[in-house]
Amino acid sequence: MTPSSVLSRLGRRADVGAIVAAAALLVVFTAFDFNGFWSFFTLLNVSQYTAILGLVAVGESLVILTGEIDLSVGSIYGLTAIAFITFAAPLGVPLAFLAAMAIAIAAGLINAFLVVRAGMVSMIVTLSSLFFYRGIIYVWSGGTADSLSKANRVEWLTNLLGGNWLWFENGFFLFVIVVIAFQLILTASRTGNHLLAIGGDSASAHSRGVDIGRAKTFAFAASSALAGFSGIVTVADQPQTHVTLGEQMELQAIAAAVVGGALLTGGRGSAIGAALGAFIITSVRYELIGMGAPSSWYITFVGIVLVIAIIVNQWLSATLRTL
Amino acid sequence: MTTNGAPLVRMENIDLRFGRFEALKHVSVDFDAGELVGLVGDNGAGKTTLIRVLSGLYTPTNGRVFFDGKEITYFHPKLAIELGIETIQQAVGLCENLSIARNFYLGREPVRHVLGLPFLDFTKMRDDSRKVLHDFGLRANVGADDEVSLLSGGERQSIKIGRSVAFKNRVIIMDEPTNHLSVREREHVNHLALQLRDQGLLVIYITHDIFQVHKIADRIVILENGVKIADVKSGEMTSDELEQIIREGGRTGASQEVA
Repeated sequence: MTPSSVLSRLGRRADVGAIVAAAALLVVFTAFDFNGFWSFFTLLNVSQYTAILGLVAVGESLVILTGEIDLSVGSIYGLTAIAFITFAAPLGVPLAFLAAMAIAIAAGLINAFLVVRAGMVSMIVTLSSLFFYRGIIYVWSGGTADSLSKANRVEWLTNLLGGNWLWFENGFFLFVIVVIAFQLILTASRTGNHLLAIGGDSASAHSRGVDIGRAKTFAFAASSALAGFSGIVTVADQPQTHVTLGEQMELQAIAAAVVGGALLTGGRGSAIGAALGAFIITSVRYELIGMGAPSSWYITFVGIVLVIAIIVNQWLSATLRTL
Repeated sequence: MTTNGAPLVRMENIDLRFGRFEALKHVSVDFDAGELVGLVGDNGAGKTTLIRVLSGLYTPTNGRVFFDGKEITYFHPKLAIELGIETIQQAVGLCENLSIARNFYLGREPVRHVLGLPFLDFTKMRDDSRKVLHDFGLRANVGADDEVSLLSGGERQSIKIGRSVAFKNRVIIMDEPTNHLSVREREHVNHLALQLRDQGLLVIYITHDIFQVHKIADRIVILENGVKIADVKSGEMTSDELEQIIREGGRTGASQEVA
């Protein structure tokens, strides 16, 4: 393979921009080490929050690449976390995990039902879900924070989800497994081919006998399941909740998915890209904190990163493809 | 080519109403295997509606449809695909964002099990689509991994036609297959249509260009306002005579039944 055909292949990847940007960021943070990016605590924090945001972003990019959007992931993230903690007291951790995940998946299936069967616009459906589940969180928790009991904190499953291994949070390793699994589903399975086809041209996919409803249902269910799983991973590590848990997470997840190369019109996206998008957003955030920038700058910066990412993505894929 | 001597497709007294609108009125028509039939008529004549019954998208209000001698009682696109009825349309059929190999098998992707998990069989997808690229006259530098967005209109039609042959279909319906194509590409597509017929397939060629289809069709069926107004062998009437029928919209009264 010639170097130019390698570059041209790279240019076809949805996540080419994220790969280049993540590499560039690592170089910059290494060269101008403002506050010890490679320090133990920064790495730990960055990897953990990348995992938490990344889990949500991977699910979000599945929905985005079918041409839909899921605004409810932040609320489902919070609801599942609170359900896990609330159920853990009477049911024990393993059953609480299953029950909380069942709630997350059910929420995704309801989104899918309203979009696929009732033919409603996903932005409206999931905006309603965002408010609905956030409201449920307020009612259910009565506005108070809850936490895991001491016994439940040392439960094996709590440790598996929220413990540490080799200095890193287990959540990070779980995240890596999820990214690999979903990247394989997207690029090398029938479901992945159908998701991409539907996002690219749903009429053509339909004419080939692709079951559009089933593929979209898979995307919405996976999105909620991953958001819920991320919520559980979060509270397994830091077992206290708050009613605002996961607020605005949907926007960060969409940003991470888009930075990772997901096209809002559908037909393009990647799990690795979403993961790198989460990494880029998270590491920039920690660098800003480290530089002593006011925390409110973070949101401003996400906005800038988003615009730059889209411009770079378009430019890179157009340039590399012509090689 | 048919078992028990019946036509491959028989449509009997088909009525199709959308509310008060009658899209098809008592249409009866037979189609045989190894035949290229031109289905002609003005816009709104009912050509596409008739074909959508055949491809399982519409269920007739009245009338019966037989495929290979067996009556069809349930109309669904999936069933039509299973029976080997494929519609090639200009605007749909290929996803631009996917490679040729991925489009080729879209909806029926071959899988290979690795550790019990079904992974796409990329080798088969590439090899089979590469063969069609070669057989159906695409540029030499087009590869199975190239995205469809890079292809011309004629190349896209060629891939759709090639795909329908590779999947051993029995009926190929070509819906305005040469719209927006260059002269050379149009000839290529028409040549492919003849090639399919010679292989024993039933080819239904929808167009409103009577002159073009008269050159290649064995038989011409003309619809007007949902009614069949002519059904003649190509040799029995000139294209000018057929055009006359279309222009008069069957108002001369005498329906030309020769079938």
